[in-house]
Amino acid sequence: MALSLQRRFTTPEPDESLESLAARSLPDLPLDVAMEHIRGWNLHIFLMRRPRGLLLGGDVVFIEPPQT
Amino acid sequence: MFDILIRNGKVVDGTGARAFLGDVGITDGRIVAIGPELQQEGRRVVDASGLVIAPGFIDPHTHFDVQLLWDGAAKPALEHGITSIIPGNCSLSLAPLKADDRKTLIGMFQQIEELPPEAFTQAFDWTWEDFAGYRAAIEPALAVNVAPLVGHSVIRLWVMGADAQQRAARPDEIAAMQDLLRECLEAGAVGLSTSFVDVDENARPVPSRFAQFQELDALCAVLGEFGRMLQIVPEFYDTDITIARIDQLAELSLKHRIPTTLSPVFDNRQSPNNVPRTLARIEEQTARGARVWPQMQTRPIDISFSLLRPSLFFARLPGWIKVLRLPVPERMIALRDPATADRLVADVGEDGGERLMGRLVVRGGGEAPDHLVGRTLGEIAAERGEVPARALITLSLENDLSIGFLAANGGHDSTERIGPMLANPLVHIGASDGGAHLTSFSTYGDTGYLFSEFVRKSGALSLELAVRKITSDTAEIWGLKDRGLLKPGFAADVVVFDPQIIARGEERPAFDMPGGGMRYVRDSIGIDTVLVNGEVAWSKGSYSDSATGRVCELT
Repeated sequence: MALSLQRRFTTPEPDESLESLAARSLPDLPLDVAMEHIRGWNLHIFLMRRPRGLLLGGDVVFIEPPQT
Repeated sequence: MFDILIRNGKVVDGTGARAFLGDVGITDGRIVAIGPELQQEGRRVVDASGLVIAPGFIDPHTHFDVQLLWDGAAKPALEHGITSIIPGNCSLSLAPLKADDRKTLIGMFQQIEELPPEAFTQAFDWTWEDFAGYRAAIEPALAVNVAPLVGHSVIRLWVMGADAQQRAARPDEIAAMQDLLRECLEAGAVGLSTSFVDVDENARPVPSRFAQFQELDALCAVLGEFGRMLQIVPEFYDTDITIARIDQLAELSLKHRIPTTLSPVFDNRQSPNNVPRTLARIEEQTARGARVWPQMQTRPIDISFSLLRPSLFFARLPGWIKVLRLPVPERMIALRDPATADRLVADVGEDGGERLMGRLVVRGGGEAPDHLVGRTLGEIAAERGEVPARALITLSLENDLSIGFLAANGGHDSTERIGPMLANPLVHIGASDGGAHLTSFSTYGDTGYLFSEFVRKSGALSLELAVRKITSDTAEIWGLKDRGLLKPGFAADVVVFDPQIIARGEERPAFDMPGGGMRYVRDSIGIDTVLVNGEVAWSKGSYSDSATGRVCELT
C-alpha cells in the first residue's frame, strides 16, 4: 500500500530561529512572507505555546497549509 | 496434584478463540493444564461455576512508578483484574535520576500526572539513583507484575543537568544518553518513553521536547539492539501533527526494527475525523511493515474538581494553577481580591468562560447546596448575572472552596463510535493513566468498563475479543514473555470474573495517599479472584498478603 500524501513538515535545527527555518523551508518566497506562512500554519507553536514562538527541537513545523 | 485448580469455568484463553467450559490447573506459578474436567485435584480449589476464567489483564499506560514503593499491588488496579502494568510513560520515570534532580522530577510529576509532592517524600526512603536500584527497591513487595519504561526526560536530566530544558544535545551527550539507556534496558526496562506535549510546574516544556529528532533516532538505535518499545505522547489535539508523529514513529520502527506506540488518541464530536484519519495512516504504515500502535482508552475523561486543589481542568490556564497552588488561606484571599479575580476571568478568554466552563455541572456529594447539584455553571451564572468564570470563583468562595464541579465527556463522547474503534485490530487498548491524575478522576476500572459498555451494552466486541485485546495482544505488542494467554507453560496470571456484571464502581474519593492525600478511585464489580504468578492476590473483596509480582521477563 502506497503512502497517501500528507501535510509536509520539518523539524528545527539546533538553536534555529524562525527566520532560518522559514528561509530553508520556503526558499522561493521573500523572507517576510515565508515567516508569515510558517507562523500561520503552525498555531500550536506561534499561538498556543507560552512563550509564543519558542521553537523546540522536537517540534513538528508544517511547511505547507492544511489540506482542504 | 495441582497447587491451585480453577474448576468449571468458561475458559476465555486470550487468543480470541471461542470460550469453552473447563478447568485450569496451576503448579509452581505456571499454568500446567487446561481442559474440560481435569482429573487431578488441587490443594486449593477455586469454583468458577458461572464465571469466566481469563488471563490477567495488562495495563500498558500507567504512572504507578512511585505508588509501587509503598503499595506493590498498585491498588485498586489489581482488584480490577490487572496483573501486569507498565509504568514510566510520558518521558517520566523514577530512574535513572541523580539525587540533585529529584525536586525537578517531583515538580514534573506534580504538574503532568497530578501526583502530590508528599507521595515522593513521606512514604519511602529514596536510596537509588540508577535504574537497577529502582528495580531493586520495588521488586521485593510487588503483588503485580511490572514492565517499567525509562523516561527520556530523566535520561536527558542525568546527562545534561539543567541544560536538558534549554537546548539540543551535543554528540557526546547523545552518546552518553545511549550508554545510559542501554544500561537501563539491561536492567530490565521495557523501553523508552518520550513526550511532545508536556510542561513542568513552571509551564516550561519537559526535557524530552528539547531533543532533536536525531537524538531520538540515536536512542531508538539502542532500543533496536534489544527490540524494545518507544512510547510517545503526541499532540493528540491536532490530527495533522498526530499523523506527522505516526510517520516519525514508522520511520524509527522500520529503521531500528522496534515497536512504537502513541498515547492517547481521542475521538469526539468536535473532531470526528481525527481517529478515522489517524487509523488510515496507521494502516498505510502497518502495510509497510512499521509497528505503530495507537492507544485508545475505553472511558471518557470526566474531570471532577473544586478550587481546593489544582486540577488538570486548568492545564491551559497557568494563572489559575498559580493561584490554586497557594495555601488555602492565601488562596481564599487571592480569590477574594477583585484584581486577581478579574485577571483570572480575563485569562479564560473574551467569552468569560462560556465555552470552557459553561457546561460544567455542579457535583453532589454533600458539599454543594442541594438546589445547585446537577445544574450547569452556565445556567447558574446566567441567573446570577455573572459570566461562568466569575460564577466559578464566587460559588466556590461561598462554599469554602468545597463545591465540586464535573467536566464530563472529555476525550471520548460516544459509545457507538468508540466501540468499533476499540475492536479495530490496529488499535491498542490502553492509555488508562493508572495511578495518575489522582484529584481529577479515577484512572481505575477501564477494564470493567470495557466489558460493561462495549461487550454487554453495545456489543461492539465479543467477550473473547475484549479479553484478547487486553491480554495477549498487549503482551505481544510489548514483548512480555509467557504472559497474556491461558496456556500450559505460561505464567499463571489469571482473573476469574462474572461476565454478566463485571463493571467499574462509582467514582469515589479515598484518603489513602501518603500524608492523608485524596484520590478518586473506583471499586471493581464482578471480579471474583485474581491470581498473580500462581498465587491468589485478591479474592471475593479482599487482598491477600501475597507478593508474587515480578519485573516482567521480556521476549
